[in-house]
Amino acid sequence: MDTARLTLETFYRGAEADLFRSNVDPWKAVLKRRVRKGYRHESLDDSIRRERTLSEATLLHEAKAAGARVPSVIGIEVETNTIVMTQIDGVVARDCLDAMSPNDSMELFRSLGAQIGLIHTAGIVHGDLTTSNVIVTASGTPFIVDFGMARRSNNPEDRGVDLHLLQRSISTSHRRDVPPLLKALARGYRETAGEKVFQSSWAKAREIARRGRYFAIR
Amino acid sequence: MLCLGIESTAHTFGASVVEDDERIITNVNSTYRPPAGMGIHPRKASEHHAGIADSIMEKAILSPDGGQLDPDVIAYSAGPGLGPCLRIGATVARAISSFLKKPLVPVHHGVAHLDIAMSLGQVHDPLAVLVSGGHTSILVHMGKRWRVYGETQDITLGNILDMFAREAKLPAPGGLSIENLAKKGSRLLRLPYTVKGNDVAYSGLLTAAISQLNHRAAVEDVCFSLQEIAFSMLSEAVERSLVQTRRKEVLLAGGVAANTHLKEMIRSVAEDHGASFYSIPLQYSGDCGAQIAFSGSLAFAHDMKVSNENSHVIPRWRMDEVDVPWIPRD
Ligand SMILES: Nc1ncnc2c1ncn2[C@@H]1O[C@H](COP(=O)(O)OP(=O)(O)O)[C@@H](O)[C@H]1O
Ligand SMILES: [Mg+2]
Repeated sequence: MDTARLTLETFYRGAEADLFRSNVDPWKAVLKRRVRKGYRHESLDDSIRRERTLSEATLLHEAKAAGARVPSVIGIEVETNTIVMTQIDGVVARDCLDAMSPNDSMELFRSLGAQIGLIHTAGIVHGDLTTSNVIVTASGTPFIVDFGMARRSNNPEDRGVDLHLLQRSISTSHRRDVPPLLKALARGYRETAGEKVFQSSWAKAREIARRGRYFAIR
Repeated sequence: MLCLGIESTAHTFGASVVEDDERIITNVNSTYRPPAGMGIHPRKASEHHAGIADSIMEKAILSPDGGQLDPDVIAYSAGPGLGPCLRIGATVARAISSFLKKPLVPVHHGVAHLDIAMSLGQVHDPLAVLVSGGHTSILVHMGKRWRVYGETQDITLGNILDMFAREAKLPAPGGLSIENLAKKGSRLLRLPYTVKGNDVAYSGLLTAAISQLNHRAAVEDVCFSLQEIAFSMLSEAVERSLVQTRRKEVLLAGGVAANTHLKEMIRSVAEDHGASFYSIPLQYSGDCGAQIAFSGSLAFAHDMKVSNENSHVIPRWRMDEVDVPWIPRD
């Protein structure tokens, strides 16, 4: 895809990428461009950006095919490490969670759990599941974005990492009681993932939280 | 208020007197060096500490103007660390506390690395990156405690550098040898780069780096590549954490913060996102009495003392199990 003639409006500076809005008839589109990281050795940086751009586009597509609510890929521009995707209208959970009523936030997490369950049972793990990567629409529906760290995996350990990270992102960024949200998340997850996947993923998440580091003997 | 701090978690025995959490008056440390090519042996290290403790304490309470300092509080590193080493420090602390009839304050060694760095840099509420032999963690303060946002899933950054240096038979301190050799390397070898969420994993990288060495890659290139990959992994995790937690300051602390290249990489991440950056000065980056004294001052100001009978050591003690109500700093 050729993005050179598009009018780009910058709207966000992410950890990995610059994000732009644009019109790609007939869609309102978002361009995610992985920019060079000054701190990283050039050849390492090039290969990381290339690999992640390609795999993000592929896995977004697979997650969509599995019925999850994620942006649709419109195209990619390999030369500039850019993904063009449909725009999701809404606010990231990072910005709206703290202002939500307890009921709305529980409902959000139930619905988010169901989305994660769909993705996991499709054999995909997200790899960076935080409240910054969930967009909540006006009607309260969550969309998951940012599949840059996503991988194919059916390993309960990897699914546990997703759940653990989501939990950590709440406890480090939100003034909210975590257990009720996790309970709601579990309820939604179980609905779509089924009992077996649910049990193995949550057992691993608990194990990872306990595992934490203490002290290394040299 | 003068606080005497005693550090004794691993290879260093140290003591220091500080005034409040502002001024370092004395700071005397001695580090046990295992024979070349060997790791630290807990009992050997504790024997070193026991042998050196008296003379260190004597120097630490010697005032620069000749007299003796009279501490109001005795702080000791209660953990995490090697049991035999921790017990030496705690024993010395108890003895001094009951002799001088001054309160005893237990300190978490990792928390102390951050406390001294925050005091010296006047940092308020940072994203903290703690890199040492015992820790590789990315933390933010929330509620009353440090919360771990990212960490190593296996060995620490200090471990991988030390273990590689040992394998390559580089002179101690290993981290410094690697840093110097890396400056002469230029070829980036293919080594595993493992970031999972905000966590990193280093053991695969260590194995691969050693195997490169055994396959006759130039040691300079292996050191260069090891540093590039290990530091890039951490920098990436720091960058993600910074964007999620939205802190305006990034703090680098712990022994590996002595590495100039790592410092520049983390600084670059901070500046890219409009955050200020502060790194612990080289002389206080490694384990030292002063970190315990600073942290002890702050803890004492919050009344966190223990009785002699309750002055335990805690070899396994997580950062997020400690109340630190003095953060954010004003
Ligand atoms: N399809 C989209 N529609 C609307 N906003 C998006 C879309 N994709 C990303 N964003 C916004 O841009 C931010 C950064 O995108 P993300 O893919 O998470 O990049 P990074 O890898 O840099 O974190 C997201 O947190 C979200 O606010
Ligand atoms: Mg993101």
